[in-house]
Parts: sequence; structure tokens; C-alpha cells
Amino acid sequence: MTLKKRFLRLTHLFFIILVAIQFLPDRCEKPSEGIYVIVVALAIEALLLLGSIFIKKPLALTLFLDIVGVIFIFLIVWTLASAKFVWIREALFPPPGRVFAQFVEDLPQILINVKSSLLIIVQGYLIAAAIAIPLGLFLGWSARIGTAATYIFKFVSAIPPIVYIPYGIALLPTFRSVSVMVIFLATFWPVLASTMSGVMNVDKKITDSAKVLNVNTFTMMFSVILPAALPQIFIGCNQGLTVSFILLTSAEMIGARDGLGYYVKNYSDFGDYTRTILGIIIIGIVVVAISFLFNKLQKYLLKWKR
Amino acid sequence: MSKIEINHLSVDYVEKSSKYTALEDLSFKVEAGEFVSVIGSSGCGKSTLLSILEGLRKPSKGNILIDGKQIEGTGTNRGVVFQNYSLFPWMSARKNVAFGIKQVRPKMPKKERLKIADIFLEKVGLEGFTGKYPSQLSGGMQQRVAIARALAMDTEILLMDEPFGAIDAKNRIVLQELLLKLWEGDGKTEKKTVIFVTHDIDEAILLSDRIVMLSGSPGRVFKEIDVPFERPRDRASLVQTGEYTAFRNKLMSLFYRDIASKIGGSEVVL
Repeated sequence: MTLKKRFLRLTHLFFIILVAIQFLPDRCEKPSEGIYVIVVALAIEALLLLGSIFIKKPLALTLFLDIVGVIFIFLIVWTLASAKFVWIREALFPPPGRVFAQFVEDLPQILINVKSSLLIIVQGYLIAAAIAIPLGLFLGWSARIGTAATYIFKFVSAIPPIVYIPYGIALLPTFRSVSVMVIFLATFWPVLASTMSGVMNVDKKITDSAKVLNVNTFTMMFSVILPAALPQIFIGCNQGLTVSFILLTSAEMIGARDGLGYYVKNYSDFGDYTRTILGIIIIGIVVVAISFLFNKLQKYLLKWKR
Repeated sequence: MSKIEINHLSVDYVEKSSKYTALEDLSFKVEAGEFVSVIGSSGCGKSTLLSILEGLRKPSKGNILIDGKQIEGTGTNRGVVFQNYSLFPWMSARKNVAFGIKQVRPKMPKKERLKIADIFLEKVGLEGFTGKYPSQLSGGMQQRVAIARALAMDTEILLMDEPFGAIDAKNRIVLQELLLKLWEGDGKTEKKTVIFVTHDIDEAILLSDRIVMLSGSPGRVFKEIDVPFERPRDRASLVQTGEYTAFRNKLMSLFYRDIASKIGGSEVVL
């Protein structure tokens, strides 16, 4: 890639526009805190320049540039619509600078909420996976139970886990334990179902080849069937993770006293839409970050696949 | 006592209401250290026979004795090379071989297993590929790994089910010669007892001490022939001799006379 192709990109122009428009006079009543947008833009631009130097694959760099470009355009439109032209009422639609300023102010509180949400997810998710994967291996392997179980699980997994919340509140001592239960249920069924179907679909050549090596049952289960079914198991794990976030934030909106869903719900009840928007953005970032890490793990564990 | 005795083996497949007999009253013996090829046209039940020897299938009638003992399921005294896809795709070549060794010698330290795996991968000419996954290897290379695994497990008996059937002609010759060399060894170690299933007559002649011909549907032993050529064999000089051509023609005519009698016509276009 030539130097020109690396650095002479439209994205950098968007960066300049984004910074420049912050200096236009505000039309909103309260200050728009444009300086925070400039700081954020500078931070992203710095990352982008580092990327332009160090990312080797042209395709990856182009993707990075495009994504950052979209973020810049989004921030430009947001700034213009809120601070500079006030298309929507200021109280309902704060300018980006104010949201970023709020982030700095609320950071300790946000971290507590992120931690609370993540702990619930991790707990419910890990317990579910730790039970569902071995159970799925066993049920999928014993073909007869497996077939019967498939029909039963189809029924149970068709029930949206969110409907358990009211009953869970009556049944369990704390709202936190209700959240863990809901995450557990949301993860358990898809992981169990995908593990079973993964096991039932393992190529007979693989199991035959293990049998003639005279492996014992434990080795067969965990050194042969488990890795062979892993690509399918991950489908269920992915599904469980997505649904978990939806359910957790919903549950937190219903009755929690902390967590990201609570943060958004609580401040929108008080009409504080700066914090509402901030909460929504934070949830987005957390979900993307978790999915990214999960994908890395998946790629690492399935690196033998072509 | 023979190493392997196959006694009056019959296998019936029952599918819905129809019954199909794959093998009928099939018997032959294999001596210790003997290389026996089983040949026959496709559908003659040779793979069924091997799956019983492997212990993956039970016969309807008859039995198989190894060292005088009836086989019940799979066993560590038999190593197997399938036609293809017998490697575990999530393990590197070296791990695949080491995994096989672990099943026969569970107490051996991991380091030693990996060392032996490397030695055998080197023997099959894969020293530069030990860390590769099967998906990164060609079909011929995967079969080399499978052979290395079977040899590294050091079982007394090797069962090979058309191991070179899916390999292109050029690589097949290379692999046949490799197998021949490894089996003949250096004369110091005891030779393995091999049952080798194929439909390739040249392959059978080059490799084996004896050829068992099966006739199809239902499969039964149709002819047993000793291969008269001295070892160590060299393909290039062997195929040029008149004896080789005569022997090959004899086998061919036996083979096709059987097919012709099955079809019921005298004119069979070869």
C-alpha cells in the first residue's frame, strides 16, 4: 500500500469537519461542551493514525477507516442537529459534548453498573454452559434419550425466558437471583440444544476412527465428541449470549436497583435524557466488547477449521 | 495356530422388510507376519469383512479368532487405516499420532509420546509438517499421518481398508512403496500381520504374500493365491518380468471369469 493510499483518506476530512463545526456558535441554551467532542475525536483520530501505520492488511485498514468514518459522520450530524440547529427539543436531545461530559462526571457510577450487569451475565451464563454442555454431550450420545429429549426441549425452549421474571420474583429472595435465573434459562436451552445436535451430527468416520483406537468412554466424550461438536456448540453459545443481554437489560428495567438497564430506565423516569443516551451508548459498547472477546475465543478454539 | 482365523463368517443386513446377505460362510486364515490382500469388486463385502475385524460390527454367524481368542469389539492388538477422514481435524499431525500412542500406552509420559510421534512422522516423510492440521494437508499427506499413527501404535495386526483408494495414481505408487519399505523393515523387528483390502490388482501383487479373492453378493472366498515373488520387491524391475505379466493375467482372468459368471454372459468387455 502506498503512503498516499494509507493516509490520504476521506475519513480524515470528516475528522476535520467534526472538529471545525464545534467552533460554530451554539443555538442551544445550555453550553454544548464542544470541547469534549474534540477530545473524543482526537482520541479516535490518534487511534486511526496508529492503525494506518501498523495495520498491514489493506482490507483490514480500509474496514477500520470506514467504521471510523461512519462514527465521525454520525457525530457531525448529531452535533448539527442538536447544538447548532436544535432540530429536536434540547431537553430531549442533548448534544454529544454534553453526553461525553456526563460520562466523565458519572464514570464511577457507570463502572459500578457495568460491573453489576457483567457479574450477573457471567454467573448465569457460566452456570448454564457448565451444566448444558456435559448434559448435551451425554443426551446427544445416547441416541434414544436424545431423540425424546429433543422434542421436550423444543417445547421448553420455545417459552420466552422473560415470562419467568414475575414468577421468579415470587420464588427467589433477591432480584439479582431472578436476573441470574433468567440469564441461566436464556443460555441453557440454546446451548443444550446445539450441543445435542452437534453430538448427533458428528461424522461417523470420526467416531469409528476413535472406536478402533480403543478409547474409553471419558476420552470419547471429552477428547473426541466435544471438539468435533464444538463448532455447533458455539452457535448455541452465541445465541445465548445475545439473548442474555436483551433479557438482562430488560429485567434490570423492571425491578433492579443497579445495572445498566436500571441506569437507563431510572434516568429516563426523571427526564434526564443526557444520561439516558449515555446509558444506551455504554450498553452498546459493552455488548460489542463482549462479543468481540467471545469471537476471539471462538476463533482460537476453532482454528483447526479451514 | 494361525494368527487370525476367520471361521464361517456370515453377515446379513436387515433393512425394513428386505434381508441382504453381505457375507456368506466366509473362512480363511492369516499367519503371523503375513501380508494378505483381500481383493474383489465393489460391493463384494470386503469392507464389511474389515469392519468385523476392526470390531465395529458383529457377524450374524461365525466368528474371528486372534491368537485363538474370539474377538469382542475393538482391541488394542489391531491398528486400523481407513480409506480417508480417519484423522481428528482438531489435532495437529503430531497430536493425532501421539493420541493413538496414548490409547495403547496410557502410562507413557507425554514427552515421550510426542517424540515417538515425530520419529514415525519422519519415517513417512512428513518431518516438516508435524504441527499442521489435517485441513492443511493434502489427501496423500493425511494418509501418511494415518499410516504413521497405525505404525506408531505398534500393534501386532494392521487392518487397512483401501487406504490408497482416494489418492491420485502418482501418489498412490509413492505410498505403496513407502508401506512396502516400512513393512519389510530392516529384518531386525518382527513383521506385522497385515490384512489389506483393495480392488487394485497391481497393488495387491506388489504388497502381499497371499491374495484372497472374494466374489460378490453374497461375499465368499472364491480363490486364495500365493504371490510367488521374492522380497524385498522393487516395483520397477518386478513389473518388467514376464512372470509378473503372466501372474497378473492369471489373476485378471480369474477375477473377470467370476464377474462374467455372475452376469451370466460370455462376452464381457473389459
